[in-house]
Amino acid sequence: MSELQPVLTVKDLKVHFKKSPGYFKPVERVKAVDGVSLELRPGETMGLVGESGCGKSSLGRAIIRLIHPTEGTIDIGGTNFLALKGGALRRARPSIQMVFQDPYASLDPRMTIQEVLAEPLNAHLRLSSEEKNRRIQKIISAVGIPKTAVHKYPHEFSGGQRQRIAIARALILEPKVLIADEPVSSLDVSVQAQILNLMKDLQREMNLAMLFISHNLAVVRYISHRLAVMYLGKIVEAGESREIYKNPLHPYTRALISAVPIPDPKLERSRTRIVLTGEIPSPVNPPSGCTFHTRCPYAVEKCRTTPPELLSFNGSPQLVRCPEIGRIPRQ
Amino acid sequence: MGEVLHVRDYRAYFHTRRGIVKAVDGLNFNLSAGETLGIVGESGSGKSVFLLSLLGLLPKPPLRIESGSAQFGGMDLVTASEDTMRSIRGNKIAMIFQEPMTSLNPYLKIGTQLIEPLMIHRNKTKDEAFKIVKGSLLKVGIGDPDRALNAYPHEFSGGMRQRVMIAMALTTHPEILIADEPTTALDVTVQAQILELLKSIQKETGMAVILVTHDLGVVAGVADRCLVMYAGKLFEQGSVDDIFYRSQHPYTHALLKSTPRLDKALAALPSIAGTAPDLSKLGPGCPFDARCEYVKEECRNSFPTAKRTEEHESFCHLEKLP
Repeated sequence: MSELQPVLTVKDLKVHFKKSPGYFKPVERVKAVDGVSLELRPGETMGLVGESGCGKSSLGRAIIRLIHPTEGTIDIGGTNFLALKGGALRRARPSIQMVFQDPYASLDPRMTIQEVLAEPLNAHLRLSSEEKNRRIQKIISAVGIPKTAVHKYPHEFSGGQRQRIAIARALILEPKVLIADEPVSSLDVSVQAQILNLMKDLQREMNLAMLFISHNLAVVRYISHRLAVMYLGKIVEAGESREIYKNPLHPYTRALISAVPIPDPKLERSRTRIVLTGEIPSPVNPPSGCTFHTRCPYAVEKCRTTPPELLSFNGSPQLVRCPEIGRIPRQ
Repeated sequence: MGEVLHVRDYRAYFHTRRGIVKAVDGLNFNLSAGETLGIVGESGSGKSVFLLSLLGLLPKPPLRIESGSAQFGGMDLVTASEDTMRSIRGNKIAMIFQEPMTSLNPYLKIGTQLIEPLMIHRNKTKDEAFKIVKGSLLKVGIGDPDRALNAYPHEFSGGMRQRVMIAMALTTHPEILIADEPTTALDVTVQAQILELLKSIQKETGMAVILVTHDLGVVAGVADRCLVMYAGKLFEQGSVDDIFYRSQHPYTHALLKSTPRLDKALAALPSIAGTAPDLSKLGPGCPFDARCEYVKEECRNSFPTAKRTEEHESFCHLEKLP
C-alpha cells in the first residue's frame, strides 16, 4: 500500500482559536491543533483517536476547510487545498467529503432524501435529471436504503438508516478522501456494526482514503489500517494500527488502551489498569515541555522543560513523541 | 448476604394517544447487598424507564405500573405512597445519572446542593451537614473540599462533576446505588477512575449497585451479575460469566459478537440485521423475532417462558443455542 502516492498530505497544521476571557483581559489562544502532519493513501483508513478536547475534531474540520487553519499546508491529489479560492475551491471540494457524528442534526428535516442527495450534485456538477436520478439510485442502494424510500423525510428513518443516508450524501460525488467524525458514536452496538461494515465495504469498492475520527479505540481497531493518537493538539504516537495495539509505546497510548474495558469478564479481572490521575489540561495554557508530563507516571525533570519531537522508534515506521521510551518498563 | 431488592413481574406501560407503549414488560430479579448488577440494553430497551419508574420519578399518567412488585426493606415500592417514596429516594436508594451537568443545579454552589439530602433525610443542621459532606468529598477523591463546596458546577470538569454526584449519593449511606450510564459522557481514562472509585466505595460500604449501561465492557469489568433487556423484555440474566461465556440467548450472543474488541484484530464483525422494533406495535411474540437468525413459527406467536439452570435464566424458544 505504501508504494501509492498519498492523496492527502497535511503538514504542520495548526488551528488556534482566539478566545476573549473578558473585555479588559488579553486575548487567549486555544491551541486546538498544534502542528499535525499526516498522509493518507487511496484505499487506506487512518484512525484518529484521543479524548475530548484533544483536537481531533478540529483537525478533521480544518482539513476539509470548515474552519480555517492558522498555519500549515493541506495537499489533496497534488493541489494546495488551502490556497484555493472561489470557483477553484468549489471545484476541488467534491474530492473531499465528510460524515458527521449526529445523523439527527446533520440532515435537514425539511428535505426529502432525494433532495438531500441531489444537493451536492446540483452544487458541483451539471447533470441531466436522468443522470442525477441514476446516481441517486445507485448510491442509495449501495448504502442499503430501499430505493422506494427516496421521497421520505429524515424523521421517518432510524438513527442507523440516517447515518447511511449521510454516508450516501458524502459519497455521491465520488470523493477521494472521506473524513468521518465519530460516525458510529451515537448508534447502538447492533447498528454500529452494520455501519462499520458498510463503511469498510464502500471504502474498499471506491478505493477511498478515510480519516476515521473516534474516541472508541475498539471501533478504530476494527476499521483502521493506520492509527494516530492525539493529545492536546499534537500527535503523540502514529503507525500501523496492528503494531500500536500490539505494542503501544507512548505512556498515554498505553494508559488509553489499558483504560478501555473489554467485554470479557475473566480478562477484565486479570487486567492491571494504568489509571491516569487528573484530566486533560486546558489547551489554553498547555503544560510546558511534554504536554503529557502532568499526568505521566514516568515524567522526569527533562519532560517538564523540553518539548519532545515525533520520532521513529528504533528505525521502525512507528512514530512516538517521547524520548524516554527506553526507560519505561514494558508491560 | 441479604437480599435488598426483590422485583417480581414488573410491568410499566406508557398510555399515549397513539397506543400503549410497553416500556418494561415483565421483569424479575433479586439484588443482594454488596452486589453489582449490570443492566444491559440498547436504547429503547426499557432499562432507564424501569429504574426511573421504580423510584417514582416518572409522571403517572402517562406511565402506569400494570403489575408487579418491588420489595425493598419490608415494603413494596410499587404501592408505596408518595411520602414514603420521598423518604427513600436519595436516602436509602440513591441515584446518579449520565449527564452530571444536567443533574446539578447550575445556580447553586456545590456545597448547597450536597448538604440537601442530609438536611432533608437526617435532620442535620447546616454545620453538621457540611462536616459530613467534606468527608464524602475527600472519599470520592476531591482533594480540596473547602474550595469545591464554594464552587459552582460549571467550574468543574465532567469527571469532577460525576465525583460530586457520587459524593452526594453517598452522604446518606444508601443501601442501593442506582447508576444510570454514569460514565457514558466521560472519556475512557476518566471512566476508569470513576469505575475504580465506585468499586472501592462499594467494597467499603457494602451497598448494592445497579449499573445501567450499553457498554458490555463496563459490565464485564465491574458487575457480578447481569440482566440483558431488549424492547422492554428481560431476555437473559445470570452471573457475568453465564452471560459472557455461556449465553443461551441469540440476542445476547449476537450483541457480544457485534461488539468491536480492543484486544482482538477482527477480520469481520457480524452485525445484527434490522433495527429495534416500535414498542407500541409489538405483537404477542418475541420482540426480537424479525432480527433473529433462529426464528421459528412459535417465536411470532408467544413469548417464551424462562429456561433456568441455577442462577442463569434465559427467555428463548430455542432448546439450545447452536
